[in-house]
This record gives sequence, C-alpha cells and structure tokens, in this order.
Amino acid sequence: MRTKLLVMMAGLGLLGAAVPVWAHHAFAAEFDQNKPLKLKGTVTKWEVTNPHSWIHIDVKGDDGQVVAWMIEGGSPNNLYRLGFTKESLPPGSEIVVEGYRAKDGSTRGVGKNVTFADGRKLFLGLQATEAGPEKK
Amino acid sequence: MRFRCFASTAAPAALVVVVLLTSAPAAAQAVSPTAKPATGTAKAWVAPRTPDGHPDLQGVWTNNTVTPLERPKRLGAKEFYTDAELADNQRKERERLDLNLEEGRPTEPGTAADVHYDFAQFGLDRSQAKIAWDRRTSLIVGPEGTLPPMTPEARKRVADAAAKNKGHELDGPENRPLGARCIARANVGPPLLPAAYNSNLQIVQGAGYVAIEAEMIHDTRIIPTDGRPHISSSIRQWYGDSVGHWEGDTLVVDTTNFSDLNPFPGAQNLHVIERLRRVDPDTILYQFTVEDPGMWTKPWSGELPITKIGGELYEYACHEANYPLANTLRGARVAEAEAAKKAGK
Repeated sequence: MRTKLLVMMAGLGLLGAAVPVWAHHAFAAEFDQNKPLKLKGTVTKWEVTNPHSWIHIDVKGDDGQVVAWMIEGGSPNNLYRLGFTKESLPPGSEIVVEGYRAKDGSTRGVGKNVTFADGRKLFLGLQATEAGPEKK
Repeated sequence: MRFRCFASTAAPAALVVVVLLTSAPAAAQAVSPTAKPATGTAKAWVAPRTPDGHPDLQGVWTNNTVTPLERPKRLGAKEFYTDAELADNQRKERERLDLNLEEGRPTEPGTAADVHYDFAQFGLDRSQAKIAWDRRTSLIVGPEGTLPPMTPEARKRVADAAAKNKGHELDGPENRPLGARCIARANVGPPLLPAAYNSNLQIVQGAGYVAIEAEMIHDTRIIPTDGRPHISSSIRQWYGDSVGHWEGDTLVVDTTNFSDLNPFPGAQNLHVIERLRRVDPDTILYQFTVEDPGMWTKPWSGELPITKIGGELYEYACHEANYPLANTLRGARVAEAEAAKKAGK
C-alpha cells in the first residue's frame, strides 16, 4: 500500500505546490533519520504554539522510570480553523508516537504519526466539531 | 531559493475561478465541490466602497493554491487546463489527500524526507484549507510560464553565495534561512506567493493606507496610498518599501528597496508591481510583475486568485516558541563532537 502511495505522489507532480513543501527549517538536521522511535505515553501538556506545537508526554520505561519527552508537531492554526482546540488533547490522554529522535540526544522527537492508545489517529480520528469560519 | 528565470508580459486573460471547498479531514468524509465560475463577460460586479470611496478589499482571505509557480515542462505553451482536466486535477487531489489520511505520509522510513510530522495530521495539507482553483497551469503567465534565465552575473553571484555557505549551513543562526530565524518569510510578499500552509491574509483599509497582514509569520505590509515617493534607495527593508495608488477599481502597489536576501536571494534591485482588484464578493484577482535587470534577463509576471475565508487570522507568534532553531544548532554541535571523538581527537 505504501508503494501505491509513492506511485500516486509521483504521478501528481503536475500539482506540485507553488512553494516547496519543505519546512522552513531542516527537520533532518534537528532529528536523526537513523534513530526511529515509538513511544507510548501520557500527555502532560500540549504547547499550542508556532512555528510548531509540542506535545509533552510522560513515558514509563520497562524499569518503571518515567521520562518526560516532547514531540514536535505542526502549526496549530488550521486545527483551530477545523474545529479542534487545546481541549482536543487533554492532559492524561494516552498516545502512541512514531517518529524520530532528536540529533542532540535529548528526549525530544518529531512525531511522524500520532495515535491514541486505541489506534485512532490523533485529531483526525476525533469527531470534529462543526468547523469555524472555514466551512461555508 | 534558486530561480531560473524567464519573463512574460502580464496578460489579463479570462479567469475562470472554481472554488472547491474541502471539508473537515475525517478520513471517510466525502468532499463536495462547489463550482462557481467567475465571469469575465457578464455584467460587471461593482465592489462595495470604503468610507473614502475606494473599493473595499477588506476581510480575511487565502491565496492557497495547488498551481505551481512554473509550468511543468511537459505542458509546453499550454497556459490553461480544460474544464475536464481541471475536474480531473481536483479529483486526483482529493484522492491524494484521502490516501494520505488513510496511510499516513507517503515517504520511505529511514529517509530524511520521512523525518517530519504528517501535514495532514495537523490540518496543514493544502487541501485541508480552501483553495481557489482556476484553470491556470502555472502562476507565471504567458506562453513560457517559467522564470526567465538569470543574467550571467546573477548566476555567478548566486553560485558564489551558495559555495560560500556550503558546509556551513549549521555553523550558527546567521547561516540558517530567514524563515527558520523568524525574521522574514517570502510569502509575506510582495509578491504574495502562497505558503505551503497558513496561507492566509487580512486586508485592512484606512484613509490613505492599505495594510496586508500575512498570517505566517504575523507580518504586516503597510501600503500608503497618499502619493508619497519611495524612501531613499540606500534604505533596504525585508519586504521592501511599498507605495500604492488606485487606478479605477484596481489597487496598484509598487515596491522597491528590498534586501537582497528576501524574497529572491541575490536580487539586488528588485522591483515588484502588484495589482489587486475585487472581481466578485469572494474573489480578489491578484496580478504581479517582478523585475530586476541585474537578476533576470527580463521581467516575469504571475496571477492567482485570492479567495475569501472569513473568520480571523490566528496569531503566528514565531520567535517565542522557536525551539527548532536552537535544537537544530545543538544537534549540529553534538554531531560534530561525536565525529571529533570518532576521529580520536
């Protein structure tokens, strides 16, 4: 299925964005492509900030020790337009983060995919409230 | 950003604007297209007026688009898609998003490209925001639809700058892109080229001024319309110096005094002319011409519809939470230390 996705993306070259979709900063310089991670943790807070939002989670290791991680996500502006708010990810939520670890070795990561513990995709898997001004 | 260059004259061609509304990003939700052809031939719609008698361009708008700046090579001189091709493009775009929502990011694990959050997860896929579709094959107008060639001097200047920075991209903050430092971002304009996401604007008018605020990065261009001249050419500003005037129902904005670092690095005497005309309640026709004889062999022009979204801009306070800049530099220092250790120093 992943191959199908890549083939489709290649075929849609004609619809390439006017501005390159690369982020304004080099994620591959901030996080290590050779250090994939998968974490399960409890949300302690969601920093609803720009240029990136940050999900803070407590991760309990096999040794019982709790380690605090912060996971880099996207700008929250359009989530708010789509009807999601800070309350969409309350502290105590259990989430699973697949992504990559920070190059500086800290307990920071970028979340390529974030789901709730039950497998529902974060944000999009929620019942979106009726959107704000964007929908007409 | 490196630009190969070519110029075309601004051709005010018939504009067919089809507005596709994309609904909330739940995977199963279907998208219902609302086709609303703007007219170039029917009775002319007249824009409401501000108290001082000028067309009212005010409101919250987006210039989000899927149209690339330059025309794909294989399309040659084809400046417009047919209605059937446009419908097909829209269908493919919906399918792409739906697949992304279902499968996640279409990148290979373990590659640099995979090291990113999923745009669609955060509602930042371009099709999760309103797009003012039109039939253009590129933002740049004319038979070529591409940037003009750079002059030989410009090519050398840009190549020299790239060579100088090569290997030093992570030395310190000054080596990082202006956007990564929250100093300036090209989409603020002029010209108002779309951002990959949050491509929203607010226009506010007062007596003798038009202000255009870009959501990302929360910068406002203030355009006086009182006939004043440009500031001294020895003063350079991140977004240049804009002066505007009205030609009938069109706001014409002339901008000079750009820094040579933004929006087109290497352009030392950039001159941008913009034309904004509200053609229907939900659409501003935006046209622009870019020239710099020291950069491109001829001027180049573009056009894109700006469509109303209402609501408000959300604050994009950039610097205050700009952890990535420090994280990136710290990561580089750690990588250097590890490399030095390996080398046995």
